Amino acid sequence: MSRYPHLLSPLRVGPLTLKNRVVFSAHLTNYAEYGKPSEQHAAYYAARAAGGAGLIITEEHSTHVTDWPYEKLIHGFDPAVIPGYRRITDAVHAHGVPILAQLNHNGGQASSMFSRLPVWAPSPIADPLFREVPKALELHEIRDVVDGYALVAEHCVAGGFDGVELQCSHSSLVRGFLSPATNVRTDAYGGVLENRARLLFEIVAAVRSVLGPERALGVRLCGDELIEGGTTIEEAVAVARMVDATAQVDYINTSIGVATATLYMIEASMQVPPGYAMFIPSAIREAVSIPVIGVGRFKDPVQADRAIAAGQADLIGVVRGQIADPDFVRKARSGSAQDIRTCLSCNQECVGRMGLNRWLGCIENPRTGREAVVLPMPTRRAQRVLVVGGGPAGLQAAVTAAERGHRVTLLEKADRLGGQVPVAASVPSRAEFLDITRNLAAAAQRVGVDVKLQHEATADEITADAPDAVILATGAVPARPWWAGDLTQVVDVRDVLEGRASPRGRVLVVDELGFHQATSVAELLADRGCFVEVATPGMVVGQDLGITLDLETWNVKADAKGIAQLTDVVPMSATEGITLTLQHHPTGTDLTRTVDWVVCAVQQRADDALWQALKGSLFPVHRVGDCVAPRRAHAAVIEGHRAAVAL
Amino acid sequence: MLTESFTIGSRTAPSRALFGPHETNLGSGRALSDRHVAYYRERAAGGCGVLVVETASVHDSDWPYERAPLAADCGPGWTAIVEACSPALVLASLGHTGGQGSSAYSQQPLWAPSAVADAVSRELPMVMEDTEIAVLTAGFGTAARLAMASGCAGVEIEAGDRSVLRQFLSGITNQRADDYGTDKARLLREVIAAARAAVGDGLVALRLSCDELAPWAGITPEHALELVPTLDVDLLTVVRAGPYAGSAYRPDAHVPEGFNKALCASVKAVARCPVVLQGSVVSEAFASSALAEGGCDLVEMTRAQIAEPALLQKLRTGAAPRPCVLCNQGCRVRDARNPIVSCIGEPRSGHELSDALPVDGGSGEVLVVGGGPAGLECARVLALQGFSVEIREAAEILGGAVLDAALGAGRERLRALVAWLAAECDRLGVKVVLGHEVLAAELSSYSGRVVLATGASARDTGWVDARDALRGVLQDGPVLVHDPVGGPVGVSVAEKLAADGREVRIVTQDPIVGTLLSLTGDLADCNTRLQQLGVPRELKSLLRRASGGTAVLEDVWTGAQRTVPAAVVVDCGPRLPREELYETGMLRAGDCVAPRTILEAVLEGRRVALELGA
Ligand SMILES: Cc1cc2nc3c(=O)[nH]c(=O)nc-3n(C[C@H](O)[C@H](O)[C@H](O)COP(=O)(O)O)c2cc1C
Ligand code: SF4
Repeated sequence: MSRYPHLLSPLRVGPLTLKNRVVFSAHLTNYAEYGKPSEQHAAYYAARAAGGAGLIITEEHSTHVTDWPYEKLIHGFDPAVIPGYRRITDAVHAHGVPILAQLNHNGGQASSMFSRLPVWAPSPIADPLFREVPKALELHEIRDVVDGYALVAEHCVAGGFDGVELQCSHSSLVRGFLSPATNVRTDAYGGVLENRARLLFEIVAAVRSVLGPERALGVRLCGDELIEGGTTIEEAVAVARMVDATAQVDYINTSIGVATATLYMIEASMQVPPGYAMFIPSAIREAVSIPVIGVGRFKDPVQADRAIAAGQADLIGVVRGQIADPDFVRKARSGSAQDIRTCLSCNQECVGRMGLNRWLGCIENPRTGREAVVLPMPTRRAQRVLVVGGGPAGLQAAVTAAERGHRVTLLEKADRLGGQVPVAASVPSRAEFLDITRNLAAAAQRVGVDVKLQHEATADEITADAPDAVILATGAVPARPWWAGDLTQVVDVRDVLEGRASPRGRVLVVDELGFHQATSVAELLADRGCFVEVATPGMVVGQDLGITLDLETWNVKADAKGIAQLTDVVPMSATEGITLTLQHHPTGTDLTRTVDWVVCAVQQRADDALWQALKGSLFPVHRVGDCVAPRRAHAAVIEGHRAAVAL
Repeated sequence: MLTESFTIGSRTAPSRALFGPHETNLGSGRALSDRHVAYYRERAAGGCGVLVVETASVHDSDWPYERAPLAADCGPGWTAIVEACSPALVLASLGHTGGQGSSAYSQQPLWAPSAVADAVSRELPMVMEDTEIAVLTAGFGTAARLAMASGCAGVEIEAGDRSVLRQFLSGITNQRADDYGTDKARLLREVIAAARAAVGDGLVALRLSCDELAPWAGITPEHALELVPTLDVDLLTVVRAGPYAGSAYRPDAHVPEGFNKALCASVKAVARCPVVLQGSVVSEAFASSALAEGGCDLVEMTRAQIAEPALLQKLRTGAAPRPCVLCNQGCRVRDARNPIVSCIGEPRSGHELSDALPVDGGSGEVLVVGGGPAGLECARVLALQGFSVEIREAAEILGGAVLDAALGAGRERLRALVAWLAAECDRLGVKVVLGHEVLAAELSSYSGRVVLATGASARDTGWVDARDALRGVLQDGPVLVHDPVGGPVGVSVAEKLAADGREVRIVTQDPIVGTLLSLTGDLADCNTRLQQLGVPRELKSLLRRASGGTAVLEDVWTGAQRTVPAAVVVDCGPRLPREELYETGMLRAGDCVAPRTILEAVLEGRRVALELGA
């Protein structure tokens, strides 16, 4: 008997029988090439099918030329996509897993940058993100929209999909019509809910008639837009009931938020508690007879199994969980759930890269986004590999090398593995970040890496040992800013988090990194009762938190904790006291702050002593991660993996 | 002088106008595409003298933006461009952006002289060791050989806006203790020598930052004057750019035309080769006088030729070129979204392969309702195609909303575009009726075809419309500029009112003002200007209501409310289409379809005209 009896039990969804309840729900990947699905798409979905997902729903396929909000969108309306569709569906069906295509028109949540055409929406109300006034659809254009969905459904049938899902939530024309915030029409498509939902039902009817009975049709609805005057759960349940009543739809998928206003709740980071969106499927499930999918921060099979057991949903969307580990289901089924590379909900390389028009990756899985790039065959000759440093770079190098058949020893000078990760994760709201090295440490043990803790490697020792290859991953050390002098109360973030300094009273945090370092320490110190101000030379404190969707929660928490924020300032000098002089660079004026402590979130220095001593040795020496240049964790993982593959 | 030929070393350029290297996003992978060829062909056909192709990275450790050309992949593209562009001199721009690059595409560490993070990306680079320096220098040599083998007249080495060579020259980014640190120009000299060895009798040109605008440690004009005479190059383009210089390299219209003129003249005085004046030179008058004064030998007119591909040809025949208005809205495409290079006044730029040109053969009468940019462009292209065209405009003057927009601070040049359109319409015999508000009844009795270009109106907020505020219709007292859009309008209104001596503050829901201006390069600058003018920025705030001299603002995150003085609120929010005359099936263009920017107005005005002509 499985440990996850609910999650791993089969379910009929319309004409399909799913082997389990885990859905790889729709998400952008930016893998499309010139509007067409790529080989990478096929390899990406196939990896999740091979890993046992119950159902795969692809990213959105645009249903009309007027819809082109970002560069790498699949132009579903172009018949040239069909061979690419076929490549995807064949690759996924080879593993016996059904796959649906998500159909969408983003409506007013778009710009004309790529289409060079007016953006279409129910009413001329500019989207909060794109800020382009759309053209209010005329009736003949609404017919074009409906025809577009039917056309793309035809392409999907021709391309071998088992059905389609209609995107009617976070970024879609249908959402725009459903929502009173964006639909102020006075004709048959505006006003009462029946009218606002008319487009949805016209599309359902048109698409169903293309699909016939042997293919599945799903509808993804937003349960709460989290915007002023937007759709709330009562209306969402009412729409769900109407959808069910058509008897043409096989399941309802759910979501929360609007992609261009409240994205941070759709793809919630670790700052948002797990299960936060389950009130939506719970409410809808009580009102309908068809299966309902619940989604949002499901990271392990236990949690998903419980949600089904509790009747919150029939199926669980595990998106980032399977981006991070394609074998999520296989590992759960085979009783090795502890081996799942749990998603951190860090949003750094999945969500974070999407907003920047880059291909989807994952901070802890160097293969995500690179599935179509075949790795060289592991070497026949096992080498004796020495890895120095047990942070993410060293761990990833050791794990990959061992997986590829090498004999690996890892030396770590501290008494624990993880490098700076446990330090970063020691702040309460960042605890899940620890999983990156916890997962890697577990993997290292599994694949037989010989880990030696509290072992500070020396150049002499390594030279004497003369391994077949050395990978240096010695990390970085805090660097003191030039203006800090030898003031003892000017310390680094790491001094605080590693317990070497305990600031009290008034604290100024200097943020030159624009990421979690400054905001984490600010929160921690505010929680300890300090009066905290964060100062940055940038225009915004924690600027890159915008990329990981943490800026909203940071600002709310900063306000609640009384943390002040000061922008556009550069430290000029610090004197005992401590009085810090800051230059406001836009105006060239100086201001001062007198505080008890200054905590610096500034660039670190590469710890490259071993590299300098060993480069040019008779055995090959590689370096990876922060000891090359101190950066973020994804760079460490990618470089560790790359160096090990190249051995 | 501008249109006359000029000899550089062994080659002769057909004119003294240079088309400089710039990001286009026209590439296919990291190669130059057919779209590049078509783009450059038009400028060469238009009389461009020296055409410098989009900068190619000399080594794959550099991948600064997704479609950045890689020299190793550029051979066929360079060949095709050279073939398409005779007699213009085609130079291959070669570069490496070093610490100003991006690791997002290569997923490799950035290379730089020292461990100094870029001020914008905040990414710490890897310190280049001897191995990397050797690879880099060799990369320039290999790339230069390929460029010559592909038929280029030579190469231009990039040591300007984003360049590892500039980073080596600068004390801000080069803190090395080795020879490359004590002699900061060493790497540049080695690279020039490598290129020289590769090009044979071809040209080695250099684009050099002669002022990083950071005198405490950066390259200063004094440094440049010492350096330039020691460099063995055939052509030198003088620019200003540096790690803290932001938009200074190619600013928008807030900076005057030809801002580098004095710097360039001082460099010219010590240079051993011809010198190119770069920097917002957009008019024939400015270019010609700069040449006549002798402070330069050629003039870079890049944006001028994006806006008017046939610039030199038109000047030769005495025709009026379409003006570049230095808005940076269509042509500055260094943006992760990969927009295609284009121009608000000439939207075919960058789309040469897909956008049709007007063809003669139209006949019959067309009435264009509205004389803003959409109506004017539509009328112009209709007239070019042989239609007999009449514009009826409600105002007493042509130009529409652009005339008001041009009243904003730093936006005066916009007027030149509608003035040009109006003059072209006049030249082409378009009949213009001013002060005439067209009514529906009039249209139903009109026998010819009708195009609506009636623009937009203010939404009903009860506040003062931005257009009225720009025209100076504003009661006394403190002003609150409400800018939910974050485009150029709100900022320009606030700046103008502040300059007029009004007490002004600006409110936005965003953490900074002018969010959409990242594309034009004015984002940081506009926030700086507002702060210098003492305009309080009410950030992360929603305007809830205003009455009795105060406005209530609400923090977007916390919901906390506060009041600020506001006798007047100026609304710079999105507008509504004017649809009074519209009936299903009618032709229309621009803001009356959906209120957007000049680019869409011109694009749609032209499209409608071409459709009628087809
Ligand atoms: C990078 C990314 C892109 C997404 N894009 C879409 C999308 O285009 N359409 C959609 O319906 N959902 C999209 N989603 C939302 C997911 O389907 C899912 O609801 C969300 O990620 C929460 O699930 P998770 O916590 O398991 O990741 C996206 C999610 C991610 C991570
Ligand atoms: S990048 Fe972070 S949030 Fe995204 S899938 Fe990987 S671990 Fe999860």
